[in-house]
Amino acid sequence: MNMRLFGILALVCASVAWSACDEKLSSVAGPTPNLEPTFASIQHDIFESTDSSGRTPCMQCHTNVGRNPSGGLNLAHDVAYSQLVNVPSSRLAGAVRVVPGDTTSTYLLQKLIGTPGIVGARMPQNGPPYLTEGQIAIIRRWVEIGAPNN
Amino acid sequence: MKRLLIMVLAGVVLAPAVSFAQSADDDPATLRLAEPDFDLIGLPTNLRLPKFGSSFRVTHRFTRPLNDKFSDVASDFFGLDTGAQIGLEYRFGIIKNGQIGIHRTSNRTIELFSEYSAIRQTSGHALDVSAWFSVEGTDNFTESYSPAIGAIVSRTIGDVAALYVEPIYVNNTNAQPKQLVNDNSTFMVGIGARVRIRPTVYVSGEVVPRTGYKGAVTDSRQDAVTHTSFAVEKRAGGHLFQLNFSNAFGTTMAQIARGGPVENDWYLGFNISRKFF
Repeated sequence: MNMRLFGILALVCASVAWSACDEKLSSVAGPTPNLEPTFASIQHDIFESTDSSGRTPCMQCHTNVGRNPSGGLNLAHDVAYSQLVNVPSSRLAGAVRVVPGDTTSTYLLQKLIGTPGIVGARMPQNGPPYLTEGQIAIIRRWVEIGAPNN
Repeated sequence: MKRLLIMVLAGVVLAPAVSFAQSADDDPATLRLAEPDFDLIGLPTNLRLPKFGSSFRVTHRFTRPLNDKFSDVASDFFGLDTGAQIGLEYRFGIIKNGQIGIHRTSNRTIELFSEYSAIRQTSGHALDVSAWFSVEGTDNFTESYSPAIGAIVSRTIGDVAALYVEPIYVNNTNAQPKQLVNDNSTFMVGIGARVRIRPTVYVSGEVVPRTGYKGAVTDSRQDAVTHTSFAVEKRAGGHLFQLNFSNAFGTTMAQIARGGPVENDWYLGFNISRKFF
């Protein structure tokens, strides 16, 4: 009887704990609480939109609407993926904008972090505010899992 | 070699139990010479608490590595001059064969645990088996909860030794959201032993190989090292004094699952426990 009671108690505790234990992605995403490691989410929350930190959206400069896209990179909805993944940088010889599965070689991440050796300024151009570590971690994860067009 | 291993294992399993005088040995208040404490070093044992009995334990893991220049290590008195991860633990026998407890470490982790002794070697079975369930949370149990469930399987050999195998699954060992990581949980098998070398002196050791999340530091592709520890102990009445050497600081299940620093240094530590029954 005691064992049965103890088992039931343990199961209840386990169920409660299991259902509530993982960290929420929004706790990492900071000013973009809906940001996920998918291309659609990055497109919407990072490229096209500002956020509560006041960060400049990428498409303020990286667009062909009324101007030439800065750096030759157009992040408009229909063409952004094909402009990024496995596409060489127009500014830094040998660099590739997004290398699926290779976060170290992905030039996009280097530009967002401000890695020494990049050509031009850290992005966004008018920062700070820049992307938070959590926002960059989510973009890094998208690259890490193969930069799918999802 | 394989045959020798099988013979050794068979010998261990078929060796006589502590005693078959069940009435005395079934009393959890009776001293078990081969299993004098509720923990090995970081891993739990099958020792039962009498109903409404309790036990207290303090753990220290000094954070100064020992594998450094000897004169430097000695001048820091082998780590005692530096900081330590300290743990305080209290456990209580809530029902017959069942105990609950709380363990807090100085990195503000609180672990709540329970253990139920389901099968006892002293009852004529070949093994002791207990069920384990715990949940721990960082920042004083407000963040990053890691529940663990497992079994503690042991075999005591007379009054001389106790061998342990402890398969344990720890959920959410990775403090990152699951969307950002390859592995969010850890399955580990604690393997340990305690040998009584003098009437009140023991040596013990444990190693905890694991799969799944292995405690890699963010942006580092290197796994944390597998928790390994050995110790010498002295039993004195209801006390057990233990001096230990470990490559990790973990004393809770998720901490053990996350392993030790990638540098694979060794650290001095101690445990002191006291029974209240």
